[in-house]
Amino acid sequence: MMNVSIVIPAYNESKHIGAVLNELKITKLPIIVVDDGSRDSTFEIAEKISRECPSGKLTILRHKINLGKGGALKTGCDAAFSIGSDAIIMMDADGQHKVSDLPKFIQALEKGFDVVFGSRNLKFGVPLVRFLGNKCASLLISFLYGIYVSDLLCGYRAFTKKAYKKIQWQSVGYGVETEMVIKTGESYFKCCEVSVETVYYDKFKGVTVLDAFGILFNVLKWRLFR
Amino acid sequence: MILGLQIIALVFTLIMVYFTYLHYRRNEVNGIEALFLFVSWIGAILIVLFPNIFSTFSNAVAISRPFDLAVIGGFMFVIPLVYSSYVRTKRLEKRIEQYVREEALKSVTSRKNIK
Repeated sequence: MMNVSIVIPAYNESKHIGAVLNELKITKLPIIVVDDGSRDSTFEIAEKISRECPSGKLTILRHKINLGKGGALKTGCDAAFSIGSDAIIMMDADGQHKVSDLPKFIQALEKGFDVVFGSRNLKFGVPLVRFLGNKCASLLISFLYGIYVSDLLCGYRAFTKKAYKKIQWQSVGYGVETEMVIKTGESYFKCCEVSVETVYYDKFKGVTVLDAFGILFNVLKWRLFR
Repeated sequence: MILGLQIIALVFTLIMVYFTYLHYRRNEVNGIEALFLFVSWIGAILIVLFPNIFSTFSNAVAISRPFDLAVIGGFMFVIPLVYSSYVRTKRLEKRIEQYVREEALKSVTSRKNIK
């Protein structure tokens, strides 16, 4: 049986973090929340819920300043693996990922996959711009790096400790998901995709068009200079 | 026309001399940096006041117009500055990231040590 932890990076998610953690409490998995320098009450809400949980069930870490999603994930993964986890599942703090999809990741990890990518059904409920951007990016990555992941930007993922050592990312911002896919492709890890449900609560959050250009620039830079 | 341009350039360089002095007094630049900046801006003032000196230089390096030499010199001065500040910013970002992450992980490490 694998020791699996859940890592949740959170930035200004006071509206959703409480519901997400309350829902996750019912699972037996240890949870690590990294508050990435939020200016709202995300940290306080998470702390309050952690006091209601048994010791070690919910760990709340705090970045003094906002580093970005990649930085927060790295902190969360380091913490999870340092407390003895064999694998982690990363989820977003805005409630767009369903707890009911967690068993799919655990099953895939137990089957021996090192990296498991969540894939949303991009034909339903996803804004058109995101759908097109995501598809173009997947094809570009496939062409440049030889790995095709149908939903490149989905933040619902899992990987083992062994994989983390190899795919450790440099991106601190939203480029982390793309870098993770590229490094998985370069490291030839056994990977798979599982379908996940997604609900968009806030269309102004997440990857913006400017972020997308930044990611595209990095994809080309990594191809040329790494 | 030239006189007008000279006046604008002179006012600009004098303002920059003032800012250099201000930052030196605030200890934001050290003595050597301040000296380098003072010499640069005073050199610029001399060129603005006596543009003919510049013609001698531009002829010596086979550049027909003094203005071209000023533009090329400006680029040669600014590009390394931009590059070095880019490198420094990147280095600083990495250090800040490392510090912030280490601080956040302290609680996990201390809990592990207690166990």
